[in-house]
Amino acid sequence: MAHAIKFHPGMPLLEQHAEGTLSADVALAVAAHIDLCPHCQQLSRDITADLACQLAQQPVKTNTTDWQQMLHDIMAQPPLSKQAAATQAQLSAQPAESIIVNQREFVLPRALQRLAANHGKWLHLGGIATAKLPAGNDYHVSLLYISKDTEVPQHTHLGLEMTLVLAGKIVDENGEYKAGDLLINSPDDTHTPRTMADEDCLCLSVLSAPLKFKKGLTRLLNPLQQFFY
Amino acid sequence: TRQEITNNNWEEALTFVALQRDRSAYAELFNYFAPRLKAFGMKMFGNEQQALEMVQDTMLNVWKKAALFDASRGCASTWIFTIARNVRFDMLRKKQSRKDDVSADDLWLNGEYPEQEADTDASQWDTQLLMDKLAPHFTSLPPAQREVMEKVYLQEKSHQEVSDELAIPLGTVKSRIRLALDRLREALDGARN
Ligand SMILES: [Zn+2]
Ligand SMILES: [Zn+2]
Repeated sequence: MAHAIKFHPGMPLLEQHAEGTLSADVALAVAAHIDLCPHCQQLSRDITADLACQLAQQPVKTNTTDWQQMLHDIMAQPPLSKQAAATQAQLSAQPAESIIVNQREFVLPRALQRLAANHGKWLHLGGIATAKLPAGNDYHVSLLYISKDTEVPQHTHLGLEMTLVLAGKIVDENGEYKAGDLLINSPDDTHTPRTMADEDCLCLSVLSAPLKFKKGLTRLLNPLQQFFY
Repeated sequence: TRQEITNNNWEEALTFVALQRDRSAYAELFNYFAPRLKAFGMKMFGNEQQALEMVQDTMLNVWKKAALFDASRGCASTWIFTIARNVRFDMLRKKQSRKDDVSADDLWLNGEYPEQEADTDASQWDTQLLMDKLAPHFTSLPPAQREVMEKVYLQEKSHQEVSDELAIPLGTVKSRIRLALDRLREALDGARN
């Protein structure tokens, strides 16, 4: 890694991700962070091993399920040979595909590749562009591209906003975020993210509600908030 | 012929299934895991029919894909747990019938990330620091983690000793320590802000 990732999902998020109980959209942001973050890869592995341990060690009462019928049905099916199994595993592994925006090419984390291959069309507004990903029921999931030297107008959040930096760097009132960093903003937070003069930025954005723009003329963006949502 | 599977050595059982389509090894695995998976499914779905569907799908995958199990990457129970989790996740998504939507394959890597250089962070947490600043947070650790942490940091036992004493795998001792350290670090960060 060129630099250390500083902003990680907290333990409860990692635990629920390993357990499979997060909402799919939030899980996607966490999964993409894990793809980029060796620290969270290790933690996830440990959490998963612990959950599996709990599963394997829990005492169970004898019950009335007809297990022998199920066992019989399963073993009536042919197992895959090692080769067939390996081929299947290869097929499900995605080739690394890149996406292009503003004549820039980006390779996405594994978790996003399949969905990004089906992204919606890029919508441009000033130096900012967004494209929806075909994911999400409760949340709105999109790629957000910010040209260099560009500011996203100050806004508050009507819901939860998760931003995973995929490439480049953004800065806001609270800090500096680089590839792999995961920012989580709640309704109380107000901020003005911007890029640096010499570097653009690609993010994954997961929003549970539209943004609300705060200042002067930028409030005019509020009717356009479907752009950000 | 195969010897009895001893000490819940499910890795061995899976290897027999993979290499020889060993039906009795599979039956032993099935008899052990199916009821436990059902309990897990009941907790997740709250519905017996779906829980059983998940068990059947999971154990069918174990039967068919045993050849993909790689003991060097982790225990059999971890492999089976991840299959069950993914089956359950995709069952829930399918009910909502969204074709392009997030799938278990997107969320969880089917295999290992490349090995990274050792994380020295965790080992820098010395006993003194733990005693002074983190002792109050000890009580809020899950009991299993607290037990291991007390033995290692307060009674200064080696990981191996703790593993022997509690009759749990060495890997579990290490992972509980890492999880506990992370929790404590979070508690400390929270206190600072
Ligand atoms: Zn991380
Ligand atoms: Zn924001």
